[in-house]
Amino acid sequence: MVPGDSTMKRLKYGFVAVGIVAIAGVLVAPLAAHHSFSAQYDSNQPVSLRGAVTKVEWMNPHVYFYIDVRNEESGRTENWALEMGAPAVIQRNGWRQNTMKIGDVVLVEGTRARSGELLANARSVTMASNGERLGAGSSENVTP
Amino acid sequence: MNMRKISQTVVAAGLALALHAPVDAAARQAGSGDEARPTPFWSDGRVNLDAAPGEKGFWNVMRGSVFGTGGTGLETNLEFDEIPFQDWARDLYEYRQSRNGLDDPHARCFPAGGMRFFTVPNGLNIVDQPEMNRMFFISGENRDWRRIAMEPGREHPPEDELLPTYFGDSIGWWEGETLVVDTVGFNERFWMIRGGMPHTRFLHLTERFTRLDYDTMRYEVTIDDKGAYTEPWTGGWLIPWQTVNYDNSEGGEIHEYFCGDNERDSAQFDILIEAER
Repeated sequence: MVPGDSTMKRLKYGFVAVGIVAIAGVLVAPLAAHHSFSAQYDSNQPVSLRGAVTKVEWMNPHVYFYIDVRNEESGRTENWALEMGAPAVIQRNGWRQNTMKIGDVVLVEGTRARSGELLANARSVTMASNGERLGAGSSENVTP
Repeated sequence: MNMRKISQTVVAAGLALALHAPVDAAARQAGSGDEARPTPFWSDGRVNLDAAPGEKGFWNVMRGSVFGTGGTGLETNLEFDEIPFQDWARDLYEYRQSRNGLDDPHARCFPAGGMRFFTVPNGLNIVDQPEMNRMFFISGENRDWRRIAMEPGREHPPEDELLPTYFGDSIGWWEGETLVVDTVGFNERFWMIRGGMPHTRFLHLTERFTRLDYDTMRYEVTIDDKGAYTEPWTGGWLIPWQTVNYDNSEGGEIHEYFCGDNERDSAQFDILIEAER
């Protein structure tokens, strides 16, 4: 029996979906940390932030970068701090020191700090310029 | 490029990445079916606990639990309910667990004392100097190191001369092909393993290191602490050997890591703890 057009379409998109899930699963795989994620970040507070990079701290124990984000409610620009894994950890995901530069516009998916400060743990970072998406070495879902 | 090619490319890329993604070495050894290389020995018959001459690598000591038989846990491990806690110690452990590690000293860059030494990132090398009657455990985590005194007949200092420290006073000897390390003199300023298992200044650890094959170290520890447990108890796990750098690049060498370099988490912990008051 030859699959009809609609079946073939579902199979094509299914393959694409599987491929994307496989890639995403590798890129954002939880990685080890020296402390507990859930002590500091609230998995019930996901964030999606878009802004221009203002600073990158490529250092242990965590790489931090900072972005200016427009608060749509207040109209003010807020500077958010984003925490990633250690340099050695995120390098496994393809990061290098110069992957992100001052002024680059990025989209960050992450989890907000319990303290309420403008701080989040990044799960993934997507470059607005070319759409490249990299996992951030988050320790979310890793048993401390 | 049409959709068929796009879908094939995406799937192929996904599968390629998945197949070459970092794999837990222990899991790989457990299920891969690859034949393990034999334990290496020095010419005098001692077990070589590190890389063979001309080779590189380190022990990936990131994970391990002293109770439970799942994962890399030893088949002889106790289950949690069998651990002979004193009541206060069980209560403290459960309290620490409830706070998700908020109070973990190692998260504030304090040294990884006790068994925690073998459950931290950044790798471990073992340097054996029999001519000096000593052995060093060198951790990539903050470049912490432990010295194991190997002089025959060596004893611990008297208790009143011991300065309580994070890593204690360690004496070692060989029992056949197993390195035995006996340690006393711990302070109470660390969590002796991930998760916050309590201990007191009475902690006495007897660790046994057996290299089962080139890629696997059996780590077994007896915890004798009359201040926290009603009797000594034993547990351990398997530690995998790794031949790539910690960032998965080629090399197999430990690189520099210092927690205090840009540590920002403790300020967050302080905010949360202050908010509890």
